[in-house]
Amino acid sequence: MNMLNLTVHAMLALPLVVLAANNLLAKQTARKIALYVCAAVAFFQIASSVTLFVMYTRYGITHYDFNIFDPGQVSADYFSVNRLDLFLMVCIGIVVFVSVMLALETIKDHKRSYVNLLMCLLLGMNGMVMATDLFSLYVFLEIVGITSFVMIAMFRSKVGLEGSFKYLVVSSLGIVLLLSGLALIFMQTGTLDFKAIGESLLDTQDSSRRALTYSAVVLMISGFAVKAGAVPFHSWLPDAHQSADTAVSVLLSGIVIKIAGIYGLIVVLDLFGSLEAVRIIYQVIGLVSTITGAVLAARQHHFKRIAAYSSVSQMGYIILALSSGTTLGVVGAAAHIFSHAIFKSTLFSNAAAIHEEVGVLDVTKLGGLEKKMPITAFSSVIAFLSTAGVPPFCGFWSKLLIVIALWKSGDTVWAGAALAASIFTAVYFLRLQRKVFFGKLADGMQDVREAKNSIGFIEAALTAVTVGAGLLFPFALQYLQTAGII
Amino acid sequence: MNAVFELLSTGHNLLLFTVGLPVIFAFAVWAAGKKDILRTAVTAVAGIVNLIFGCALYFAKAEIADTVKMTGFGLDIDILTDEFSALFIFLTAAAFSVIGIYCSAWLNSKKYAGLFMFYLFISLAMINGAFMCDSLGAMLFFWEGLLCTLFGMLLINNRENYKSAVKALTLSGIADLLMMLGIIITAYIGGSSNMSGLSGLEVKGAGIAGFACLMLGALGKSGCMPFHSWIPEAAGSAPAAFMAAFPGALEKLLGIYLGVRVMTQIYSVESGSAASIAVMTLGAVTLVCAVAMALIQKDMKKLLSYHAVSQVGYMVLGLGSALPVGIAGALFHMLNNVIYKSALFMIAGFMEKKLGTTDLRSFSGLFKKMPVTAVCFTVCGFSIAGVPGFNGFFSKELIFDAALESHCKLNYLFYALALVGAFMTAVSFLKMGRGAFSGKEQLPEKVKTADEKGLLLKLPIIVMSALCVVFGIFNSVAVDGWFACATGAEEKLGGWPHSALLVIISVCVLLLALADHIYGCKKTGKPINAADHIHYAPVLKQIYSAAEKGRFDPYNWINGIAQGFSFVCVKIEQGVSFVYDRAIPGIVKKTGDMLHRSDNGSLSRYLAGVLLGVAVAAVILLSKVL
Repeated sequence: MNMLNLTVHAMLALPLVVLAANNLLAKQTARKIALYVCAAVAFFQIASSVTLFVMYTRYGITHYDFNIFDPGQVSADYFSVNRLDLFLMVCIGIVVFVSVMLALETIKDHKRSYVNLLMCLLLGMNGMVMATDLFSLYVFLEIVGITSFVMIAMFRSKVGLEGSFKYLVVSSLGIVLLLSGLALIFMQTGTLDFKAIGESLLDTQDSSRRALTYSAVVLMISGFAVKAGAVPFHSWLPDAHQSADTAVSVLLSGIVIKIAGIYGLIVVLDLFGSLEAVRIIYQVIGLVSTITGAVLAARQHHFKRIAAYSSVSQMGYIILALSSGTTLGVVGAAAHIFSHAIFKSTLFSNAAAIHEEVGVLDVTKLGGLEKKMPITAFSSVIAFLSTAGVPPFCGFWSKLLIVIALWKSGDTVWAGAALAASIFTAVYFLRLQRKVFFGKLADGMQDVREAKNSIGFIEAALTAVTVGAGLLFPFALQYLQTAGII
Repeated sequence: MNAVFELLSTGHNLLLFTVGLPVIFAFAVWAAGKKDILRTAVTAVAGIVNLIFGCALYFAKAEIADTVKMTGFGLDIDILTDEFSALFIFLTAAAFSVIGIYCSAWLNSKKYAGLFMFYLFISLAMINGAFMCDSLGAMLFFWEGLLCTLFGMLLINNRENYKSAVKALTLSGIADLLMMLGIIITAYIGGSSNMSGLSGLEVKGAGIAGFACLMLGALGKSGCMPFHSWIPEAAGSAPAAFMAAFPGALEKLLGIYLGVRVMTQIYSVESGSAASIAVMTLGAVTLVCAVAMALIQKDMKKLLSYHAVSQVGYMVLGLGSALPVGIAGALFHMLNNVIYKSALFMIAGFMEKKLGTTDLRSFSGLFKKMPVTAVCFTVCGFSIAGVPGFNGFFSKELIFDAALESHCKLNYLFYALALVGAFMTAVSFLKMGRGAFSGKEQLPEKVKTADEKGLLLKLPIIVMSALCVVFGIFNSVAVDGWFACATGAEEKLGGWPHSALLVIISVCVLLLALADHIYGCKKTGKPINAADHIHYAPVLKQIYSAAEKGRFDPYNWINGIAQGFSFVCVKIEQGVSFVYDRAIPGIVKKTGDMLHRSDNGSLSRYLAGVLLGVAVAAVILLSKVL
C-alpha cells in the first residue's frame, strides 16, 4: 500500500514541486529544462496510472481513499481514486505530454509562464477526478478554469484576449449556475460529500425540498454543460480554441472540456442517476450537440475552428453514452474520451505543423499538402478515419461501445441516431482533408517542408497509438470483462 | 511433430500460427520488396514453417475444437480442425511452399514484387483461416478476405486495364453473395451456423435453395461455370505467377473443400437424386464447354486457363455422383490438378519470361533449347490428358467409374460427355506440346536466343512434374489413405482401375485424339493448327465465333441485364439523387448558415444560449417529474 499511497500523493504534489522549482531556478536554466521536466511529469502520470489500474484489478481494489492535510484521521478522507479516475488520468497525462511536445516548437516566449500554468492545470484536473465532495470539485474546477483563461490570453494577441474574455464571461455564468446548484443542495444537507447526497435527497416526500433538489440538478447540469461545450452552451468554445496557441488549444479541446465538463456530468449521473429526467436531458443535449457541432464544423474555414466544432460534436457523443446510465455507457464514454483525446491531439498537432511550416490555417488557402507533408497528411487521415468510426481504429470501438450501451439500455432510437450522426462526422472531415491535403498544391506552397522534430514525432506517435489501441481493443475489452467491469 | 501439435492445440495459438504468422510474413516479404534474394529466402522459410504446422496438424490425427473469444460481445470464432480440414491445410501448405518460391523467383526485378507477395501471403492466411473455421460466418469472413486479395493481385501492374479485375470481382462477388445466402438459409433450416452442428439436412423445400446457393458459391470459387469467365480474361493480363497460384491451386483447394463438406456432411445427397443430377450436369457442362473453348486457343496461358475451368468440371462431376468412388475421384483429381495445372502455368510463365510471349503462333521447336521444360511439359500434359500410369489417369478413371455407376438414367450420357472432354483435352495438349516443342526451331521475332537458366524457376516445375509420376505410382496413398476420411468408402479404391473395359475405352479415346491430331497436322501442315478442322467445321464455326465474341459469357449477360435494369433505375436514381444532392445538402447548408449566423461572436447571444439551455433542461425535468 505504501507505493499506492506514495503514487497518488505524487500526482497531486509533483505539479506543485515543478511549479515551485520552475520559479526558483535561474531563468535561463528554467527555460532550458522546464518543458522537458513537464514531459517527464506527464509521462510519470501515464505510467503510474496504468500501473495502478493493473494493480487495482489484480488485487481487487475498487477505490483508495486518502487525504493530504491530516494523515492519521481516517474519517477525513478528502480524495479517492477509483479505476475510472485512473483511466481519466492516463488521458490527462497523454494530452499534457502532447501539449508539451507541441510547445517545444510553437512557444517561443513565455515558456516559464506556460510551464507554471500547465502545472496548475494538471493539478486542477487531477484534483477534480480525485475529489470526493462537490465543493472540492468546484475548487479544482476553478483552478482549471482560471488557468485556461490565462493560457488563452497570455500571448497577448487581440483575438486571444477576445476569445479568453468570452470564455471568462460565459464560463462565469456557468460557474454561477453550478454554485447556485451546490448552494441549493447544501441548504438541505449541510454537506456536499458525495456519500451524503444523491439518493437521500430524492427519497423525501416533501415537495418543496424536492423542488429544490430538482432545481439544483438542472443548475448543476447546465454549469457542467457550459464547461463541456455542449450545445447550446457551446458558443465560447470555438472562439477560445481558435484564438489560443495550438499547444494550448490541444489542452482545451483534448482534455480540459472533458475533465471540467464531462467528468462533472458523470458525477451528476452518479449522484442523481435514478432520476429519469437526468438521462433524458443528457440524451437531448447529447444528440443536439452531436448534430449541431457537425453541421457547424462543415461550415467553417479555419482548421482549428473545424476541430473545435468537431469537439462539440464528439462531446455530444460522450454525453449520449452517459445517457444510457449503465456501467457500459460510462465505459463507452471513457473509451471515447480516450479515443477523442488521441485523435483530437493528432489533429491539433497537424494544425501546429501546418501553422509552423505554412503559416496559415485557413483551409480555403491550403491545398495539396499531401506531397509536401506526408507524415502530417497520413496522420491526419488516420485521425479522421478514427473520428468517423472506421474499423479497426480506436474511434470505431469506442463508438461501437456507445451504440451497444444505448442499445442495451433500450434506447434503440438514440442508438440509431448516434450511428446516423457518424455520417456528419465524415462530411466535415472529408471536406477538411480534401481542402488541405489533397488536390492541387496551393499557390506559394512549393517550399513547404515536413513538420520538424517534436511535432513530427508526436504526430507519428499518436497515429501509432490510434492504430495500436484499435488493434488491441478487443483484448482490452476482454480484460475489462475478466476484471468484472463490464 | 507432436511438440508442434501441442503448441497448436489451443484455438488462440492455432489462429496465431496459421493465420497470424502468414500475415507477419506478408509484411516481411513486403518489406523485402525488390531485394530478390531476401524476398525468396523469406518466402521459402515461411513456406517451410507453414508446411511444418500443416504436417503437424494433419499427421497428429487429432481434432482441435476451441472457441476463440474476440471481444466481449459474442464475436467469437469457433475453431474445429478435424482430419478433413487438417488435410486441406496440409495440402495447401505443401502446394504453397513450392508455388511460393516460384512466384517470388518469377517476380525478380519486377516493381510490384513485394506487394504481390504480400497479397499472396495474406491469401494463405485467409485460406488457412477458412479451413479452420467451424462457424460458417467466420469462414465467410476469411472467404471474402480472399476475394479482396484476388482483386488486389489482379489490379497490381494493371491499373489502367482494370476490366478483368472488375470482372473477377463481380463474378466471384456474386458467387460469394450466393454463398452468403446459402449460409443464411442453411443456418435457418439447420438451426445452427456451425458446420459441426449441421449434418444430413434434406435437400427439399428451403433446403433446395440453401444447397444450391452453397454449392454454387463453393464451386464458383474453384472456377466452375457460370462463374468462370474471368479466369481466361485474367490469363491475358495477370502475371503467370498469379495464374499458377490462384486458379491453378489455391482456389481449387478452397472451393472443393467446401463443396465436399456441403455434399457429404451438411446436406445428405443420395446418388441419383435431383440434387446429384443437377450437380453432375453442372460438372458435365463445365467440362465440355470449357475444353471446347480451350481447343481453339492459340495462347498458352489462355488455353491453360480454359483447362483450369474444364478440369473443375471433372471434379464437380465426380462430386455430384455422391458415391464414395466419385468423391474420392473428385478429391484426387483436385490434388492432381493442383500439381499439374500449377506446373503447367509455371511452365507458361517460365516461357513467357524467356520468350516474352506465350503466343504459340510465334515460336516452335524449342525442345533443344529447353529440354527440361519440354520433358516436364510432356509429363504434365500426359497427366492432364490421362495417359495410363500418370496421376491424372487414375483420378479420371475414378470419375468415369462414378459417372457410370451413378443411379440415374443419364449415367451413360455423363460418361460420354466425360469421354468427349478427355478427347478434346488430349487434342489440345497434343497441339500445344507439339506446337511449342517439336518441329522446326523458331523464336519470336524480337528474341535472339533462348535458354532455360534460372534454377528457382525450374525447381518448382520439376518438383511438381515429379509428383505427377509419384502420385501415379502411389495413387492409393492419397485415394485410400488421405481421402478415406471424406469418402467413407469401405473397399479399396486406389491401385489400378478395376474395370479393364473402361481402361481400354479411355486408351481408345487417347488414340483417337492422336489420330485426329495427325490428321489435322497433315491437313494444315502445322501442329499448332491441328485443331482447326474442328474449329472451322460447319455449325461449330458459328458457335465458336459467337463464343469468341462473348455471347455465352454470363458476365456479359449480367451486364446486358444490368443495362436494361439500369435504364429503369436511372429515372428512380435521378429522383433519389435530387434528394441527396440538392435537398439534403441544401437543408444542411441552410441550417449551418443559420446556426453560423447565430454564433456571430456577440457575447450577449452566447449568454442567451446558455440561459436557453438551462430553460430547456428545466422544461425536460419538469415534464418528467410533474
